[in-house]
Amino acid sequence: MIEIYLRLVDKILTPVILLIAIFLFLRGHDLPGGGFIAGLVAASAIELTILARGTQATRDRYGPWAVPLAGAGLTIAVGAALLGMYNGGFFRSIWLEFSMTGEKLKFGTPQLFDLGVMFVVVGMAITYLLRLGEAAEAAVTEQTRLGRQTEDRQR
Amino acid sequence: MSLHPTVITLPVAIPLLLGAAGMFLQFLQLPRRLQIQQTLVGGGVIVNLAVALLLLVFVLNKGPVAYQMGLWTPPFGITVYLDALSAIMLVMVALLSVLIFPFALATIDSERAQLGFFPMMLFLLMGANGAFLTGDLFNLYVFYEVMLMASFVLLTVGGTPSQVNGGIRYVVLNLVGSMMLLLAAGVSYGTLGTLNMAHIAVRMNDAPYLVQAMIAGLLLIAFGAKAAVFPVFFWLPSSYHTPHPVVTALFSGVLTKVGMYSMFRIFPLFFPWLLNSWQPLLMAIAGLTMVVGVLGAFAQPTIRRLLSFHIISQIGYMVMGLAVAMTPNPYGVGFGLALAILFLVHNQIVKTALLLGGGAVELEMGTGKLNELGGLVRLKPLQATIFFIAAFSLAGFPPTSGFIGKLGLLEVTFSSGQWVIAGVSVFVSLLTTMSMIRLWQYIFWGKPHRHPPTSRRRMEPNYAWMTTAPVITLVALSLALGLFAQPALDVVQTAANQAIDRAAYVKTVGPMLTEQDLRIAPPEWGLTDLGQATELAGR
Repeated sequence: MIEIYLRLVDKILTPVILLIAIFLFLRGHDLPGGGFIAGLVAASAIELTILARGTQATRDRYGPWAVPLAGAGLTIAVGAALLGMYNGGFFRSIWLEFSMTGEKLKFGTPQLFDLGVMFVVVGMAITYLLRLGEAAEAAVTEQTRLGRQTEDRQR
Repeated sequence: MSLHPTVITLPVAIPLLLGAAGMFLQFLQLPRRLQIQQTLVGGGVIVNLAVALLLLVFVLNKGPVAYQMGLWTPPFGITVYLDALSAIMLVMVALLSVLIFPFALATIDSERAQLGFFPMMLFLLMGANGAFLTGDLFNLYVFYEVMLMASFVLLTVGGTPSQVNGGIRYVVLNLVGSMMLLLAAGVSYGTLGTLNMAHIAVRMNDAPYLVQAMIAGLLLIAFGAKAAVFPVFFWLPSSYHTPHPVVTALFSGVLTKVGMYSMFRIFPLFFPWLLNSWQPLLMAIAGLTMVVGVLGAFAQPTIRRLLSFHIISQIGYMVMGLAVAMTPNPYGVGFGLALAILFLVHNQIVKTALLLGGGAVELEMGTGKLNELGGLVRLKPLQATIFFIAAFSLAGFPPTSGFIGKLGLLEVTFSSGQWVIAGVSVFVSLLTTMSMIRLWQYIFWGKPHRHPPTSRRRMEPNYAWMTTAPVITLVALSLALGLFAQPALDVVQTAANQAIDRAAYVKTVGPMLTEQDLRIAPPEWGLTDLGQATELAGR
């Protein structure tokens, strides 16, 4: 299952994909992108790790964080919606503006909400990608075992 | 008394926040994390009940309230709408969750608790509350999906083969129902150009009959599948007997009733005239649901299978009440809907009491098979008495809530001239009584079974009060509802009047909707050509 060239690709591409995810996340308020898409892209980076290193290594690295991440994401998202009450109502947005080297930067509760969405998507996607990967690996091991048995019998 | 409209979103926000926090805690390696989680969930259901009661008192005095998520204007933002009907449902579901919680605490084994049983309870509550509150058709679909996912986890947690089998049937058949709801939302958006329920109600007036019939038919199938009415009920008996008894009780009080609530909300709001012109169809559905449900119950070998067929049978009465809601009768238009709401409330109370009582028997004796039980009246006189009262309340004997509900429904169907369905409902009541007597006899009467299979006992005996007290409370509520029927009838009458008042709904959500609608209505529905519409829109 563990391929040498995939490990190389994993080493190079995973950070790039994660950067793309962050880029998509930040871009998402006015343009295509956002928390859900960014979460899916980040999950695809982790799927690459699963393919390259196998489920066991990936589970050791990310497994314990998956469900708490989703829980934390939901908490952040609801918290962001509740923060809006300060500004007049549930889900009302609050914006802070900064100017940095001439550029205007806007941060607000919708981004916090998006961050929560991203965490939920990543957490849930890791959980089921790991389970799917484990099932697939078990099936492959079983098949190779059966294949060897028939080969032995033919000899 | 004044209330900030944001408060009406709290029944969604509280369970979601606490459920998420519980999920976050779940896998952190804290000592005593299960206790912390259970405290969170217990606090959540109690706060939720307090908020729901506050909202009910407010709405009964001051009339409906609407809130726009993020303060966006109505047809664009998501609307949250609260009137007496939704407030009654919020209170009932909150009350049931408060009463079911101690039962769950006493009987859920640590394995299921580890897998996140308690946060899932809150997610189910959040889905139901959202479905009661939302004023947006697509949002309604989303909350149905939330409920479906949470209930699927609750059904299969524990993972015995029969649970997985029941869970797959449940989720597949319910997904078909959800698809129909999604299709209805799509048709509504494609033809009426809106998803906001108040806006749909305004535009439905001028819509061609084909569009009306298509949306109404799709919604009837969707909500019918959720509420388990006649042709689409089969997912319910094939899955409800498989999970832990607490889960069955929770589902019977929440899931099918949300489907029923959606019918009560949507049909009088979108197309009240169809309730009259489609009355024969609705009557046929109601009658067949009652008869098939109660006849199915006679063939069932276990407590929970029998009771889940009775859930279906009782849903028929509510459809009957809805079908006569818009028919003129001496008691005034909407009285049928009021009684259907009262019957829904009664059914939530009594059915949960029966399922919790039966579930306690099943857990203590280690079996739910009717022919392996018997003679429990000597061992458990208290449980036998309260189960007896609950069973007769379901059958409709005075002085319980079932009597008031059934008598009222009979009265209103007779005075609307619907003799056939009234006769069927009386006949079904008789069969229900027979079935309930049969159930009680099998469990509590007769000789104790020779080999009580106590080895399969799944409950600590010293927690018995935690399983008995909720059932006693529910039965007391049913008796109170029967004895003080007049205040209860006043409340449901207010709820029904608010539910059929379309003008008030549209006015509360957004008075600008009607005016704007005249400006951008599609040309073929009144305005002569597109140019004129554009010109009008430009003004």
